Amino acid sequence: MPSLPVKNRLKVLRAEHDWSQAELADQLGVARQTIVALEAGKYAPSLPLAFRISRVFSKPVEEIFDADSAE
Amino acid sequence: MKQTQLPHPPLNPTVAATRRYNVGLALAMAAYLVVLFATIWTIRHYDPQGFLRFVLALAPLVPIALIVPIGVRYFRETDEFERRMTTESLAIAAGVTALLSATYAFLENAGLPPLSAWWTWTVLMLSWAVARMTVCRRYR
Repeated sequence: MPSLPVKNRLKVLRAEHDWSQAELADQLGVARQTIVALEAGKYAPSLPLAFRISRVFSKPVEEIFDADSAE
Repeated sequence: MKQTQLPHPPLNPTVAATRRYNVGLALAMAAYLVVLFATIWTIRHYDPQGFLRFVLALAPLVPIALIVPIGVRYFRETDEFERRMTTESLAIAAGVTALLSATYAFLENAGLPPLSAWWTWTVLMLSWAVARMTVCRRYR
């Protein structure tokens, strides 16, 4: 089964916090290109990374990622 | 003024892993060049025979072999997306290399001259580079 993209609000949330992609990448401990792929909806993060994103934005995972888009 | 001031995170582990990999690779390549030129010089000036000649011919492989654990460490320490891209591109390169080497093996059976094993290495590296570019573009 091909991996389905998962829509997310990462770009909007990052803009709300006025963070650059590099700053968010440093907060999450990933490369900037990982943020690029996540924001483009081309890559669905692992559960641990999704939880780290949730902690950084202080929002539940389901408010950041659209579970319906993966069905 | 930023809406939310970021805490100072520790050094990004992915960035640190990339730095360690680049330094390790540069040192291994420098050691390779030193051993390579030392080996060539020794063979030209002393023309050793027998077992010693084989040992000298294989000596440059020692620093090259170090690249394997350096690469494996980077793969384990880097982030999950980089691991995904590396895995995908290596899988494609392995498939292309297996297909092309098998194709030429059949052509050898039909009468074409045998090729150097270097061709397999070259095809693997070239196909890995092309696959890596293709995979990177797919995720942008």
